[in-house]
Amino acid sequence: MEFSGIPLKKLRAAFFDFTSCEGCQLQILNHEKNLPDFLSLIEIVNFREISSDKRDDYEIAFIEGAVSRKDQIDRLKDIRKKAKLVVSLGTCACYGGVNAIKNNFSIESMVDEVYKENKPETIPVQKISEIISVDLEIPGCPVSKIELEYIILCLALGSVIEKKKYPVCIECKQNMNHCFIDKGSLCFGAITRAGCDSICVNGGLPCYGCRGPSASVNWMSLKNILIDKGITEEEILEKLSLFNSLNEVIKDEN
Amino acid sequence: MLFKTITKENLRTFITNIIKENQTFAPVVVSTDADNNPIYQFKKVDSFEEIKINYTKSYSSIKNFFLPYKEDLSTFHFNENGWEQKINYRVNPRVLFGVRACDINALIKLDQVLMKGSFPHPYYIARRKNTFIIGLDHEPMADCFCQSLDTNEVVHGFDIFLTDIGPKYFMLINSSKAFNLLKNITIEEVKEEDRENYIKEKNRLASLFKSHVDVTGMANLMDIEFESSVWQKWGDKCLSCGSCAMVCPTCYCYTVCEKINLSLKTASKEKMLYSCNLIDFAEVAGGHNFRPKSSDRLKYRYYHQHRGFVESFDESKCVGCNRCQKACPADINPVEVLRDLRKENIK
Amino acid sequence: MTYKIPVYDINNEHSLSQTPNFNNKNALMKTDMVYQCEITNIVELTESEKLFQLKIINPIEAKIFSFLPGQFVMVEVPGFGEIPVSISGSTSRRGSVALCIRKVGKVTGILHKLKKGTMLGIRGPFGTHFPMKQMKGSNILLIAGGLGIAPLRAPIYWINEHRSDFENVHILYGVKTPEQILFDFQFDSWRKIYNYDIHVIVENSDKSWQGKTGLITDLFKDISIDVKNTYAIVCGPPAMFKFVCDYLNKQGLAMNQMFISLERRMHCGMGKCCRCMVGSTFTCVDGPVMDFWTVMNLKEAI
Ligand SMILES: Cc1cc2nc3c(=O)[nH]c(=O)nc-3n(C[C@H](O)[C@H](O)[C@H](O)COP(=O)(O)OP(=O)(O)OC[C@H]3O[C@@H](n4cnc5c(N)ncnc54)[C@H](O)[C@@H]3O)c2cc1C
Ligand code: SF4
Ligand code: SF4
Ligand code: SF4
Ligand code: SF4
Ligand code: SF4
Ligand code: FES
Repeated sequence: MEFSGIPLKKLRAAFFDFTSCEGCQLQILNHEKNLPDFLSLIEIVNFREISSDKRDDYEIAFIEGAVSRKDQIDRLKDIRKKAKLVVSLGTCACYGGVNAIKNNFSIESMVDEVYKENKPETIPVQKISEIISVDLEIPGCPVSKIELEYIILCLALGSVIEKKKYPVCIECKQNMNHCFIDKGSLCFGAITRAGCDSICVNGGLPCYGCRGPSASVNWMSLKNILIDKGITEEEILEKLSLFNSLNEVIKDEN
Repeated sequence: MLFKTITKENLRTFITNIIKENQTFAPVVVSTDADNNPIYQFKKVDSFEEIKINYTKSYSSIKNFFLPYKEDLSTFHFNENGWEQKINYRVNPRVLFGVRACDINALIKLDQVLMKGSFPHPYYIARRKNTFIIGLDHEPMADCFCQSLDTNEVVHGFDIFLTDIGPKYFMLINSSKAFNLLKNITIEEVKEEDRENYIKEKNRLASLFKSHVDVTGMANLMDIEFESSVWQKWGDKCLSCGSCAMVCPTCYCYTVCEKINLSLKTASKEKMLYSCNLIDFAEVAGGHNFRPKSSDRLKYRYYHQHRGFVESFDESKCVGCNRCQKACPADINPVEVLRDLRKENIK
Repeated sequence: MTYKIPVYDINNEHSLSQTPNFNNKNALMKTDMVYQCEITNIVELTESEKLFQLKIINPIEAKIFSFLPGQFVMVEVPGFGEIPVSISGSTSRRGSVALCIRKVGKVTGILHKLKKGTMLGIRGPFGTHFPMKQMKGSNILLIAGGLGIAPLRAPIYWINEHRSDFENVHILYGVKTPEQILFDFQFDSWRKIYNYDIHVIVENSDKSWQGKTGLITDLFKDISIDVKNTYAIVCGPPAMFKFVCDYLNKQGLAMNQMFISLERRMHCGMGKCCRCMVGSTFTCVDGPVMDFWTVMNLKEAI
């Protein structure tokens, strides 16, 4: 296959789910109109959501979800061995996601609280890149199908994948939203990487940064701004850790 | 230009009829800020009653009617022999009602760049010439500083401009299109007392400005103060989020992004308004960034407003609407930045 | 009675239906319409540089397209992007455009995958040029650092074609490693046919390199220049041209007799996107070629 003089490679892909809500996998099947075109660019050899066929000859492994059990570690390592390219799909895989909230509590107290019986064996939540090397991260809770389509196309064409460097605020302004900060509320859009079309703000919720930090983060200034608005540091930090995706921005603070 | 008056009742009929036959955009309330002030935007309206005629200013400027945030410059259609490029400039006529003087003056500045001089921009011209503009005078808000930039009065760039003089509006008619439309309704000749009331109202409005900044010699000051610590001070606050440029009525710069449709049959070349505050504005291949620090980028935004634009057109690019501060999460106020540069804030 | 606003259809404007002529800047034209080109030849110069020979397909467009040494075109790879590239060939071969492109990112990466016969687009020419006519009767000093040799090929071809207009011609060329030397296959013919004085220097080399090692300014020891009657054309990274021009200025060469080509991010080539601004100057319109005096008076130039 060829596209305008460029060789086009149909990639063998596998999708694996770890600890997550499986929302990202559902996104893959979203955008029905484009689905046949999407599926013609990749050959899916392993995907629990759509087929019971399971083959191990995949080139790309998409990993959804974080790691929270010991057995998952071996499974991941096995995938890494087989795949040429490992892609973390979604905020859970890239950062730990909402699951990582449990790391704020001791494992025992947490398990006792959640499960009355059949207590599972569990470990602190880890993102995929803490266990194996990851070639590409596509954050988002859930991932943006449009972005996923773009990335698959780039992989098939062997083109450089461009990541947006600007923050969510740009998309928020394109959608003509009134800024949460001007309303006196908290929002992390100014330090979060764009690409979701500011979907939360459009829907009336602030951005909690599920897509991770943008290429230019000025955390000290944003924190001062939010404190000036009367938001407590405690609340700021609590909201900041919602997806475990913005933790790195506070590193320079100390 | 013709000068007439129109009664408030007749204006209502006039606008109502315009709305019936044309896509019409006017200020409506969309939100409220922390101090409980309403936030306005230009939205499509279906009746005169929806319009907030006494609005203050729109949160975003009207520039996106002329420079959409995103716009296809062209599309490519692939075939066996290669591809074919298609460009489409078609725009349906529309009406903007209630536009402020500063916003009309902002359009005139955009006209300089995009309509006059080298490489006129057909996309902009198609939109500009298909937009019927009815302007409206208003009392300045406490933070408006358009008077300092000489943009609180309009002389051209609109079709009709209205000033409230009590029972009626004093009306400037600036296009034959406007003149023809007004044939549909009764308008009156300007009487002695109308002129008096108009001048009185104009003087009253002019006296209400509270925010001022001296911009004389600003272009040279920008060069002289290029290494000033003022840039560091404000750059430290700046989040490099680009909101200021998105809402600014005269910021026009852009980025271009091409996307191949998943079907592999077409691709689009999309223009997207950008901001020089964004980190990769001046970044080139290999990662070299000509403006790596947020202070470099913030400085550059002021430099374009008050130095670069002056070099090309002998006037500042800023019209003093202060939207950039309202939209800025860090509350960066252009008046304060310029005063700092003038060393007026040092006690 | 009607309240309908009349439609203005810009497509009815006569000039808009004509083939765009980018040398006619003030006309209303389809500014984003490209000239379709076929890649007629690809020469692999090094691992990361290729020379592309393009041919404008439409004869009317081929006739309209004319450029001067130092100007650039926006090269369109449909679906991937558009990038500025200096024209690296002769001004006299109508309809034919030579581009020497280094693989550094998205668009250049795709360009390097393309095969002969593929269709590309170009818009242009854009920007200022080296004032070849003003240089008539003078000695010419052409100085290139790295990929800077690519834009220099246009003035070199010009001089070839107007050799009797110029006195002594020196080419000084510096690169990091011997493998990066470009167009050395042409050096001998340039020396023999046009009597050029060509010097190459390499920053880091191993034993296999027979030539000189050092920085570009070391080459000045090997030549003598008459500063009163010499023009210099310098292309290379900012640190390099500053170093070179400062040196030449100290030797007495006037700042307005030295021309350099600036590089900035560009997305339009027409003074619209603002990405290429250096201080208050648009590199795409007021540059890329500027004299050293002008460059030194720009904020953010270096
Ligand atoms: C006047 C001029 C002449 C040039 N001549 C040549 C030449 O003869 N040969 C050559 O190999 N290169 C030349 N370049 C540099 C070339 O334009 C960049 O290498 C190219 O844009 C990189 O694109 P990319 O998509 O591969 O890189 P990426 O890093 O993926 O860049 C993404 C986008 O940023 C923009 N961009 C990035 N770097 C530059 C840059 N240095 N200049 C302008 N835009 C940039 C482009 O729009 C590009 O598509 C020239 C640049 C200018 C300004
Ligand atoms: S609401 Fe959030 S995303 Fe939107 S502009 Fe404000 S800070 Fe940015
Ligand atoms: S607005 Fe923020 S939290 Fe919401 S999807 Fe986008 S990045 Fe995630
Ligand atoms: S000031 Fe900055 S954001 Fe505004 S038009 Fe100029 S470059 Fe763009
Ligand atoms: S810079 Fe600010 S005050 Fe000036 S025109 Fe733009 S938004 Fe208005
Ligand atoms: S809106 Fe404010 S914080 Fe954001 S880029 Fe502009 S000046 Fe900086
Ligand atoms: S390249 Fe767009 S303004 Fe120069």
